[in-house]
Amino acid sequence: MTRSVWKGPFVDGYLLKKADKARSSGRNEIIKIWSRRSTILPQFVGLTFGVYNGQKFLPVLVTENMIGHKFGEFSPTRTFYGHAADKKAKRK
Amino acid sequence: MARIAGVNIPTQKRVVIALQYIHGIGPKLAGEICGKVGIPAERRVHQLTDDEVLRIREVIDSDYRVEGDLRREVAMNIKRLMDMACYRGLRHRKGLPVRGQRTHTNARTRKGPAKPIAGKKK
Repeated sequence: MTRSVWKGPFVDGYLLKKADKARSSGRNEIIKIWSRRSTILPQFVGLTFGVYNGQKFLPVLVTENMIGHKFGEFSPTRTFYGHAADKKAKRK
Repeated sequence: MARIAGVNIPTQKRVVIALQYIHGIGPKLAGEICGKVGIPAERRVHQLTDDEVLRIREVIDSDYRVEGDLRREVAMNIKRLMDMACYRGLRHRKGLPVRGQRTHTNARTRKGPAKPIAGKKK
């Protein structure tokens, strides 16, 4: 089910303030955020966010075609090391 | 012989059915197109006049995205996801299900035929 349009995109409010601050002050500093659920808005383009994946803040440089996606999509929470059998198969 | 939207040449069948041989046209769009051109449901493809074939072609060209164009669009959408390195893109890259299905078992459509695991006998 898609979100109703009349509600507008969901963003945690403090992100807007943080983004504004980063814009007005010097650039290139990573904005650490925990809010993986927030939508990426047009005013975030060009900024770098550190999106928390439960362990680390992964740097995400927001580009134009990321608009409308959520921050969490760019910071995977699981590590997959592959299976032992796969490694054997590759060595041969 | 009727060539509509590139390579598709279905004859003998009813127009509504024959149109569905085109990639990107299913039951719904086929019915819609027949309605727009004004072809009765019972008409077969070989009974179409040249004028009707022409009109069908025009309607499809102007209003619908089919065959190569459609395939290209889908491929571009997937490529966009992969270039962005978002979760769905990563799943596409790895050839795993994209929409949150389980992969513990099943998921064979995406993963392909099962690979045997070495040393699992006895």
